[in-house]
Amino acid sequence: MDKTQIKIDYKKCGPNARIDPRECRKCMNVCDPAVFLMHPTLEEHKDPYNPEKWLVTPVWPCMCTGCMRCAQVCPEQAITVKAQRSLYQLRQP
Amino acid sequence: MNARNYSYELAEEYNMQAYLEEQWKNMETLFIRKIMGFSSIGLGYKMQMPLIGRFLRWAAERQIHSEKPGRNPVRADGHFGQVLPLEDAQHIIGNLAAEPIIKNYCVCRWMQRGVKDAVCINFGCLSNIIPKLTRYIPVDQKWQLDREEAIAALEEQNKRGYVASVWFQPVPYINAICSCESPECGGLRLRNDFGLRTVYKGEYVVTLDRDKCQGCKNCVKMCQFGALRYLPSIKKVIVNHDKCFGCGVCRHACNNDALTLVPRESVPGQAGKF
Ligand code: SF4
Ligand code: SF4
Ligand code: SF4
Ligand code: SF4
Ligand code: SF4
Repeated sequence: MDKTQIKIDYKKCGPNARIDPRECRKCMNVCDPAVFLMHPTLEEHKDPYNPEKWLVTPVWPCMCTGCMRCAQVCPEQAITVKAQRSLYQLRQP
Repeated sequence: MNARNYSYELAEEYNMQAYLEEQWKNMETLFIRKIMGFSSIGLGYKMQMPLIGRFLRWAAERQIHSEKPGRNPVRADGHFGQVLPLEDAQHIIGNLAAEPIIKNYCVCRWMQRGVKDAVCINFGCLSNIIPKLTRYIPVDQKWQLDREEAIAALEEQNKRGYVASVWFQPVPYINAICSCESPECGGLRLRNDFGLRTVYKGEYVVTLDRDKCQGCKNCVKMCQFGALRYLPSIKKVIVNHDKCFGCGVCRHACNNDALTLVPRESVPGQAGKF
């Protein structure tokens, strides 16, 4: 089975879009396994202590349970999830 | 515990200020930067490929425990922690932590859950850096704490169910007591889901007194590591010591004094298993 694929359309959410993820944060809140990471863009920021450009990246797609809540809650329909193989079996405390 | 590991002297010797400034400026991008040429995105899938997985684990663990002067703060080399019970966390804050002490919003919960939760206790030279990052400074509560206030805050957070942990940032400099929640906590994520030694288990494990346990199940809800289970047949809870991190958080839920922390090495099979 293939890897899970989660995509965010940065034309709809991010520094070049109407929505700033720091204001919205809905996808992060509803995701049980905390797949999403909100972070400053990797470019140089005017004030590096307080960067102004932020993005959401699905950083742990292998933890996705395919619940689709993120896609449903996103006010901009920016998220698509193609849930396939989950790697919960990697757990080894 | 070694008071020297908390001192400003040490901080100067290792040029911590510069390291910490860089690390904190870049904290949220840690997981999208590359570890030895591999990005953490899809880390689980990469670790499943036998050779790459073994290499990645080796590389990541070397990086996490790096004590070399040339370590890279943007990747958080030498940044790892250990779980500890409330009493030990309070001892560090009460006796060893360098002032000033501050309480700021948890980075992990902000970047992975989108919530602001003022639970991270930082001290020493880190508390001079974090206030520059205004997004982590609580707006509606006191955040510059004296020792007594920090000790009380830790207790309240531990009783809410957060796991106390102490962090080297970087090795050997200690400057934070966190109150962690899984799965947002980046350290616990790498440990629990990818098997990397970013966070060590505590020096203790919990034991349960069968005679005192009334089977109310309250403690089961508190454990973030799935180490406690209720057995319907005997109407009591059992402990899986392999899963127990020794955080002691379950104790707060027990009204019958049935749960006790004991030294890890005193339990057969648990000595040295951090
Ligand atoms: S589908 Fe569910 S588990 Fe997967 S990323 Fe979206 S909210 Fe998280
Ligand atoms: S829910 Fe959609 S708009 Fe909101 S932060 Fe997530 S991706 Fe951006
Ligand atoms: S290590 Fe724990 S308390 Fe510290 S920032 Fe991360 S989750 Fe929050
Ligand atoms: S909280 Fe105490 S009495 Fe209740 S099940 Fe747990 S150990 Fe037993
Ligand atoms: S069983 Fe162990 S890991 Fe779980 S809450 Fe108790 S002390 Fe912590």
